[in-house]
Amino acid sequence: MLKKSVVENTLSAALGTGADFAELYMEQTKRNTIGVVNSKVEAVQSGLDYGVGIRLFFQNKAIYGFTNDTTEKNLIRIAREAAAAARGDRVYTLQGWNRMEFSCRNPIRVMPDEVEKRQKAEKLFLAAEAAKKYSPLISQTRTGCLDIIKDVFIANTDGLWAKEQRVRSRFTVEAIASSATEKQSGHLGPGGSVGFELYDQIDVEEQAREAARIAVTMLGAKPCPAGRMPVVIENGFGGVIFHEACGHSLEATAVARNASVFAGKMGQQIASPVVTAVDDGTISNAWGSAAMDDEGMPTQRNVLIENGILRSYLVDKLNGRRMGASPTGSSRRESYRFAPTSRMTNTFIENGKSTPLEIIAKTEFGLYAKRMGGGSVDPATGSFNFAVLEGYMIRSGKIAEPVRGATLIGKGMEVLMQIDMVGNNLARAQGMCGSISGSIPTDVGQPMLRVKEMTVGGRG
Amino acid sequence: MERQALQKQIIAEALQAGFTDCEVFYLGGESFEVLLMEGEVSNYENSSEGGISFRGTYAGRTGYAFSERLEEESIPFFIASAKENALLMPPEEQEELFAGEEYPPFVGYYPELEQVCVEKRIQLAKRMEEAALNGAESIASLDYCVLGIVKKEVSIINSLGLDVSYTKNFASGYVSAIARRGEETKKGSAFWKGTDWALFHPEETGRKAARRGAALLGASSVKSGSYAAVLDARAMTALLTSFSGIFFGENVQKGFSLLKDRLGEQIAAPCVTLRDDALLAGGYASVPFDSEGVAGKNKTILEKGSLKTLLYNRKSAKKDGVASTGNGFKTGLTAPVKTACTNFYIQKGGKPLSGLFAEMKNGLYITDFMGLHAGTNAVSGEFSLSAEGFLVEGGKIVRSVEQITIAGNFYTLLKDILVVGEDLYFGAGGKGTPSVLVKTLAVAGK
Repeated sequence: MLKKSVVENTLSAALGTGADFAELYMEQTKRNTIGVVNSKVEAVQSGLDYGVGIRLFFQNKAIYGFTNDTTEKNLIRIAREAAAAARGDRVYTLQGWNRMEFSCRNPIRVMPDEVEKRQKAEKLFLAAEAAKKYSPLISQTRTGCLDIIKDVFIANTDGLWAKEQRVRSRFTVEAIASSATEKQSGHLGPGGSVGFELYDQIDVEEQAREAARIAVTMLGAKPCPAGRMPVVIENGFGGVIFHEACGHSLEATAVARNASVFAGKMGQQIASPVVTAVDDGTISNAWGSAAMDDEGMPTQRNVLIENGILRSYLVDKLNGRRMGASPTGSSRRESYRFAPTSRMTNTFIENGKSTPLEIIAKTEFGLYAKRMGGGSVDPATGSFNFAVLEGYMIRSGKIAEPVRGATLIGKGMEVLMQIDMVGNNLARAQGMCGSISGSIPTDVGQPMLRVKEMTVGGRG
Repeated sequence: MERQALQKQIIAEALQAGFTDCEVFYLGGESFEVLLMEGEVSNYENSSEGGISFRGTYAGRTGYAFSERLEEESIPFFIASAKENALLMPPEEQEELFAGEEYPPFVGYYPELEQVCVEKRIQLAKRMEEAALNGAESIASLDYCVLGIVKKEVSIINSLGLDVSYTKNFASGYVSAIARRGEETKKGSAFWKGTDWALFHPEETGRKAARRGAALLGASSVKSGSYAAVLDARAMTALLTSFSGIFFGENVQKGFSLLKDRLGEQIAAPCVTLRDDALLAGGYASVPFDSEGVAGKNKTILEKGSLKTLLYNRKSAKKDGVASTGNGFKTGLTAPVKTACTNFYIQKGGKPLSGLFAEMKNGLYITDFMGLHAGTNAVSGEFSLSAEGFLVEGGKIVRSVEQITIAGNFYTLLKDILVVGEDLYFGAGGKGTPSVLVKTLAVAGK
C-alpha cells in the first residue's frame, strides 16, 4: 500500500487548493471468476484491480479524481487539478492521524485464494449435472462462481486512517427449460462476506435443482392475467420490492437534491403501520456487510421506517453537509473509480405478525409472486417495476396455477401504504445494486407480505 | 517501465514460460466530468486509468489474466494466473490469435476537444442547465446536468506480430429535468454527444429535456387491451439494445438465441434493414478494428427483413465456417473476447413521426421503457415492461400515459413493424433506430 509520506503529501497538496476536506481511498482487489455453460468451462478470469481515488470538498461542492498510477507525483497532480474547478477561501492544514481499529465483522474460514480453481470448478460441474438431471426439459445450464479479496485503505484530513480487508464469495446457477417453442429460465445466486466455506453453507446441487424447478414450472405456465389485484410477495428476494420502491428514494443522493418523493417527510407516515424497515451493514458475514463504509465510518443498523413512520434516510458525508444531517455509515462505492455516496447495505422489512398460511388463506383472488426477478425505480417519480420470475394465481385462498411473464408496477409511496399483511418468515437474498457510485453487493429481504392492490402487467 | 515496453516484456516472458502464443491488450483512458446543481458545480471528476489484459495459449488452451497495476512486478502474476486458468479450459475452446490485416483509415481523436479550458466547459454546462430550468413553466428542478469528455486508447500487441493501436475521444452533455404539477412528477432528458464543441448547442439540449418532461404531465393509465403503437426512436433503441444479443453467432451456437438455421429467412418485416457498421462516419461506436485486431466492417444483418448474417468474433466464426465480422470485443479489461455490436442500427425509412401517427390513427406513442434489465428474456424474446408515453387518437396526441406495462415478444415485434420512420436516433453506445409503427402490443393498464 502507500507510504505514509505519500498519503500526507497528497492530502496536503489537496488542502493547498483551498479544499476544507480531502480524502484518499486506495484499493487493491484480487478477483477470480469461473463460468461454466452446459458442464463445460466457458471462461476463467483472474485479475487485480488497483487504484486510488482522491476526493476534495469545498463546502458542499465535491471534486473527485482517480488513477491507477499511484506515484506521488501523479497523485499530487490529480489533487491539484481540482483547483481549476473550485476555490476555497482559506487553506486548512493537515492534522495528526487517528488510527481506526475495526472489529472483524466477517471472519473468514477459508481464504478463496488458497483454494485451487479446479476445486471451485468441481462445484460448478456438480451443480450443472444436478440441474440437468432434474428434468429432460432442462436444455441449458449456466453456473458460475466469483470470489474477491478487496483491501481498502482510507485516510482523510479529519485524521482518519483506516484499513479493511473485505472477502466475498458468490455462487450462481441458471437453468433453462425448453419446449419446441418456448424457453424459460430460473436462477439463484447465494453469496456472502465469506470465503470458500460458502460451499459448506449451501448445497450447490439443491440450489441447481431449485433453479431447474422454477424453469420447468414456468415453462408449463400460462401467461399472467393483467390488471389491478392483490399481490402476495414471498420472502427473500421478494424484498427487492422495498429495495427498489423505497430504499433508493431514502438515499441522501436523491433526498439532498430534492429529487425523492420522501424528501421532507421525516417523522411522517409513509408506509402502512405494519411496515418496519431496516438497513443493517453490521450483520455478520452478510453479502452487504463491512466493518466500515467507503469513507471510513463504522457501519451501523439504521431503522428507516418504524411502524410506517419515516425515521431515517441513508446519509453519506457530502449529502449530510448538504442536508444538515449526520452520516449513517452508508457511503459506498463499487471501486476507486467512483466517488462514494449513500447506498443500501443489507436492507429488509422486519417480521410482522401474520403467518404465510394465513396471508394466502385470506386472499380470495390475486397473484402470488413466489420469486421476484430484478427491477428498477426512478427516485424522482417513485415509479418502479419488477419482473416476477415465478408466479402463481391465488384462487379461493389457495395457491393455484403457475403464471409467467408478470410484471409488478407502481409508485413507492402508494405500494408502501397498500401493504396490509406482513408475515413472520423473514429471509434475505443477495443481489448487485447499480447506481451512481457503481455496482455494489447488497442484500434484500422481507417476510411474506401482501399488497392489497397493485398493477400487474402480463399477457393473459 | 514504459507501457509498450511492458507489453513486449510480458510477451517475451510468457513465451519463455511455455506459452506458445500470447497477446497483451491495453485499455486506457482519461475522463473529465462536471455535474451541476443549482448553478453551481456540485461534482467534478478528472481521471486517468489504464490496465492490461493478457491472453495466451498454454498446453493448447487459452488462459486469461488482467491487472491494473502496470508494473514489472505484475508479470509473474499474469503468467501464473493465466497458466492455471488455461488448464481449466477445454482445448476445443482455444482462441486463435490473429497476425493482422489491412485496416481502413480511421480518425477518432480530436485533440482540440480537450483544449477547451475547464471554465469554458463549466460555462457550457451552466447554459444547458439554465435552458432546461427555463424550458417549460412546470420545470421544478433538474435531476442531472452533466458535461464530460472521455478519451479512450486501445493497443494490442501479440506474439504473431500484431501491433496496432487507436485513440478516440468524445464530448457529451446530458440533462434531465423534473417537471411538477401538484403531486405529479415527470422527468424528461436529452443528451448530445460529439467531437466538435461548435456543434454543441447547450440551450437546445436543455430546452429539449424540459419540453419532454413537461409534455408528460397530466398522465393517466389506459384500459388494458391490445393497442397499435408507435415506439419512439429512443424507446425502440432501448428495446433493440436489450435484444441485440440474439444476432450474435456465439449465442446462436449456445442455444441462447432462436435464430439457429434461419439464415436467408424473412424474420422481420420487409421495411426493416438492420446494420452493424464499424466504420460509420462520426459513429459513437466506430473503430478501425475489434479487440482481436480484425478490421472493422459494414454488415447488413437484416436486409428488407431477411437474415443475411450473424455477428462473429474469430472463435464463433470458425465454428460456423465463416470469417469474423470484426465483432470480437472485450467489454472491459476483465472480460474475455466475446461478441459486441459497433454502430448497430435500423436504417431510416421515409416517414416523419407525424406520418406514423397519421397511419396509426388510434393507439399509443411509447416514449420510454423502464426496467429493461429485468423485464426482458433475452433467450425467448419475451418482454414485459413498464412504459410511458402518449395516447394518440385520430392521428393526434391527446394526452400523456403512465402506469402501463407493455408485453410482447421481440421476434414477433420485428415482424409486426408496419412502418419505419425517418428520425434515426443513436443512443450514446452507438445503437439506434428510427421510430417505428407496430401493428399491435398487449398493454396492461387499469
